[in-house]
Amino acid sequence: MKFIVFRYNPDLDATPRMQEYDVEVTRGMMLRDALLEIKRQDESFSFRHSCGEGVCGSDGLNVNGTNLLGCITRVSDLKEPVKVRPLPGRPVIRDLVVDMSQFYQQYRAVEPYLIRRDPLPEQEILQSPEERDKLDGLYECIMCGCCSTSCPSFWWNPDKFHGPQALLQSWRFLADSRDQATDERLDALEGPYKLFRCHTIMNCVDVCPKHLNPTKAIGKIKELMLERAI
Amino acid sequence: MSRQASGLRAWALQRISAVYLGLYIIYFLGVLLICPPDTYEAWKAFVGDPWGSMAMLLFFSSLLLHAWVGVRDVLIDYVHPMMIRVTLLTVFGIGLIGSSFSIAKAIFLAGLQS
Repeated sequence: MKFIVFRYNPDLDATPRMQEYDVEVTRGMMLRDALLEIKRQDESFSFRHSCGEGVCGSDGLNVNGTNLLGCITRVSDLKEPVKVRPLPGRPVIRDLVVDMSQFYQQYRAVEPYLIRRDPLPEQEILQSPEERDKLDGLYECIMCGCCSTSCPSFWWNPDKFHGPQALLQSWRFLADSRDQATDERLDALEGPYKLFRCHTIMNCVDVCPKHLNPTKAIGKIKELMLERAI
Repeated sequence: MSRQASGLRAWALQRISAVYLGLYIIYFLGVLLICPPDTYEAWKAFVGDPWGSMAMLLFFSSLLLHAWVGVRDVLIDYVHPMMIRVTLLTVFGIGLIGSSFSIAKAIFLAGLQS
């Protein structure tokens, strides 16, 4: 099977190039396995990967124009030639390895942890099953970055727009019955950039390998903001 | 006063104006389908009717507000150099305000003459 892979080593190359590789496909082969095979053929090739089972979120890639996780994508499901590029909009460090610093900065900015005003109790803070259910579809994010790097609003304003991943996590804590910083969180999201650059394009929903829905979460944040404003 | 341009207010205005635009367009298409004004005088009477002119003024106000939020969004997204963005916002702002005066004049004149 033919793979056309983005190659760029800033120390050696003046410009990026696309390089062809032939990989013998085996039964059940995942894209990560094919990239490892390419790495065996050409040891100068770099890409990130770790767990190999869609849990660590390391091998987010752009394949035939769509962001996905290499380790849970069967090569048999891909159209040949398979064009593999780094996640779009991020500075390339080398080959398929990109700099995700801004993505993590935006995640950090939404304070992704429980904030309590009351003194912490001696025992755990209990939730009803209904309160716990509200976190389903939110906590499962593995931070692979497929969503935010497929979002045009994040491409244009990655320094100011939080992006779908960070906003999904923002709603994860706003929706948590144990969190007590709702007003502060909402105040921090006001203004035209952090939240309101989302134009409901929904690329994030299309590409999320965990089938989460950041657009819905962003809609919930806007609803809550409106509810608190009137 | 907030240092930032509004986020929630602009978003809410865009949604509310969109609802009114949608409702008015349905009403207007209904008028065109069921009893379309077929002469200049009939059009003047349609636009000059007090309730009709109020609804039409509200429609164009919503349209201009909606357009302003949309243009502002596009410029915030794509135009990053501050001076170019401010210039373009000013040009579009003046254009929209000019349009609103022109529309208001047409509607009020139709109201006075009918």
